[in-house]
Amino acid sequence: MSARVLLHVGTPKTGTSHLQDVLFRNRDRLRHHGLLYPADRFDAHFLAALDLMALPWGGLQAEAIGRWDALAEQVRRHPGTSIISHEILATASRSQVGRAMQSLAPDDGTEVHLVLSVRDLVRQIPAEWQENVKHRSTITYEEFLAQLRDPERKGRIATWFWGVQEIPDILDRWGHELPPENIHLVTVPPPGGAPDLLWKRFSSVFGLDGLDLELEAERANPSLGVPETALVRRINKAVNPVLDPPDYRPLVRELLAHQTLSRRTRTPRLALPPDLHEWARDLGQRWSDEVRRRGYDVVGDLADLEPGPPPEHWADPDSPRESQVSGAAVEAIRALLVENARMRAEEERLRHELHEARVALDRSFLRPSYRVREKVLRGVRRTAVGRGLHRVYRLARGRSSRSA
Amino acid sequence: MTGPARAAAWVAHLREGGTTPWAEWTGTVDGPTPPVLPGAQQLELLRRVNQRAAVPDALVERVLAASAAGRGRPDLELVGARPASDFGPPPVDPADLPAEELLRVAALLLAEDLAAEGDPDERHDRPDDLGRLLGDAARRMKRSGRGPWLRPWRTKYKLVGDPWRADALRRDLIARGRPPGGRGALVLVVADDLATMLGDLWTDRCFSTGVAVPAWGPWLDALAGSRRIARGADPALVAATWSERVGRERVRIVLDETQLPAVLGVPRLTPRPAVSAEAAELARLVAKALGLRVTPDVGRRILRERLLPRLVGHPGHPGAPLAVPPEHHRWIHRRSVRMRDAVRAGDYPVLGEVDGLVSRPRALAASGETLSGEAADERVLALAVDLLLAPTGAQDRTGPQEAGT
Repeated sequence: MSARVLLHVGTPKTGTSHLQDVLFRNRDRLRHHGLLYPADRFDAHFLAALDLMALPWGGLQAEAIGRWDALAEQVRRHPGTSIISHEILATASRSQVGRAMQSLAPDDGTEVHLVLSVRDLVRQIPAEWQENVKHRSTITYEEFLAQLRDPERKGRIATWFWGVQEIPDILDRWGHELPPENIHLVTVPPPGGAPDLLWKRFSSVFGLDGLDLELEAERANPSLGVPETALVRRINKAVNPVLDPPDYRPLVRELLAHQTLSRRTRTPRLALPPDLHEWARDLGQRWSDEVRRRGYDVVGDLADLEPGPPPEHWADPDSPRESQVSGAAVEAIRALLVENARMRAEEERLRHELHEARVALDRSFLRPSYRVREKVLRGVRRTAVGRGLHRVYRLARGRSSRSA
Repeated sequence: MTGPARAAAWVAHLREGGTTPWAEWTGTVDGPTPPVLPGAQQLELLRRVNQRAAVPDALVERVLAASAAGRGRPDLELVGARPASDFGPPPVDPADLPAEELLRVAALLLAEDLAAEGDPDERHDRPDDLGRLLGDAARRMKRSGRGPWLRPWRTKYKLVGDPWRADALRRDLIARGRPPGGRGALVLVVADDLATMLGDLWTDRCFSTGVAVPAWGPWLDALAGSRRIARGADPALVAATWSERVGRERVRIVLDETQLPAVLGVPRLTPRPAVSAEAAELARLVAKALGLRVTPDVGRRILRERLLPRLVGHPGHPGAPLAVPPEHHRWIHRRSVRMRDAVRAGDYPVLGEVDGLVSRPRALAASGETLSGEAADERVLALAVDLLLAPTGAQDRTGPQEAGT
């Protein structure tokens, strides 16, 4: 039986990638201190969340089969504290939440704590559009914003966005059976604060204070500027029909967006249009008031959810400066050429290795008796009867009939 | 407190087989009400299933506990069931929900049923031993009457091209003891007019898991936008590739399947299963949910060996065949003419008339199901409900209950 489960269910773009990377890389040290982060790969909790929520995700779903139950079993077996963290859990339905809670703490006295990291809407909205673009979307920023503001929330964009961002609703779904003191809101500090402040807040809520952990992150989810996001959207329009998800992820999302275009930090940053600031501010205020009313544990300050002033110069990603987009495009081409050259070199190395292996193989097969036996075998295996006899022969010799 | 009490009473009514819509329901319960109710999608689906037949208790509970698969609207609250909230999606009258939302729940339940039945090909779970070897041989002998090894002069073949038809022919031939392959095999490129091949290609993908397939309309839109035709629907390209590999004399483009038995030396071939547009669409939705439960190879076998016979054996089958929406007629016709010209230029042997590759505007305009609009979704939902009820639906069709109004 698990004594305590810390369940971090969102929200996206609140430093979750960094947190999960630190927890994954330090999982052995954490275990030494009685803390379980049950993961055999860095995206283990993401796959478990896909499994729990029956969510297809660009062909990854086959890898997710049975992952939630396996994760929950590890948690149940661990006698100390376990941590589960993935931001897409925020969108789980009530019945999925019920299944998750039942599998993690099946009425055995396990103490469940819910953690939700949150950031102001003015920063979350453009970040979420950018995430959509980095997941093959071709929707314009204007259309994205229009869908978010539709009160019916019927579109898939709006459904997903509010599902993972609307703090009181997420806490209704995940926290309706938990006492408010077991629900912890970690607020993301406003820009310009101490760089390690967010980590300190995570550290305190997850009970990591005082542990000697490697905090240098290998994985993060870096942001793109306006022309870079506009470029990726244009690339999506061109490559979506011809590039399958398993190729899109490493080539466009990782190589182009994360490793190349995110390094261009001098271009205008994505922001909410100034005329929507008041709407987002009011909404955020209502959320803060509700959180305060419900009496949750706030790690940080609810004032962090109040956005800063609108930017003086707002850059529209649907009409970016073409010179900036072409600059980003040249960077992208350079990265693709360098990658192509690396792959050519790798291909040449493998070709050479294969050639050497073939030569070595031929040399070992040069014995005359081998050639005769091989010729006879080839002849026998031409017919179904021969193939059957050959399998019987191999079985009789005590070998598997399947070649290794 | 009338809202929660009314909602709790409606849920109880549906559990008992009731069919009264939420808007007309006025009954209430005494005492405490549950803090959480099933979503409007689940409740409306249960009402629809109740309308069709008496529902086993286990299925009732499964419907109420299910969540819709994939991205889409979350579980929604009933309008009027609780005091208005500033947060979460707006509550709905379940009767106003589009069939597409109910289908997401039904598809997940059907996928769960199929996955629970396991891999239809049990041989994949068994060790590769002598018993299996002999068992396979005996089965093949029994099906075909003769083993392939008794006919060394048989025509060896390889089936390529239209994947849906090629797969059906291959299965039939294997069942007759004629597995594909062998030295000097004849390469048979199965083809038809372009619109039919596109329909077959989409249907083939609907009966596969692993990669999510867009709905028929968006799938065609993407194809039209990209100006590319997938290999399975491009016999000229397939024939060219195989000609390079094995020589033109060993390639045949098959446009008349009635000539195949003579070529292959079999008495007859079972035609491909006719699948209605609604059945293919339901398979696509089920496949999406099934892909989260079984690996792609098992999923493909489950869909083709378990779901397909049920769809084909459904009393209302076959419904209307898949049809191309009018906005795609022009490019498909033009492209099919180019394809015919390419086959002619390649001078490949053709079984049938090469003009059979052309999708004629008149044929394209003939009636069929384009799978667009709410009415089409309703038909797919009706089929899904029938399949959910399949084990008991045919036996027990006692009248639904109207009460509480």
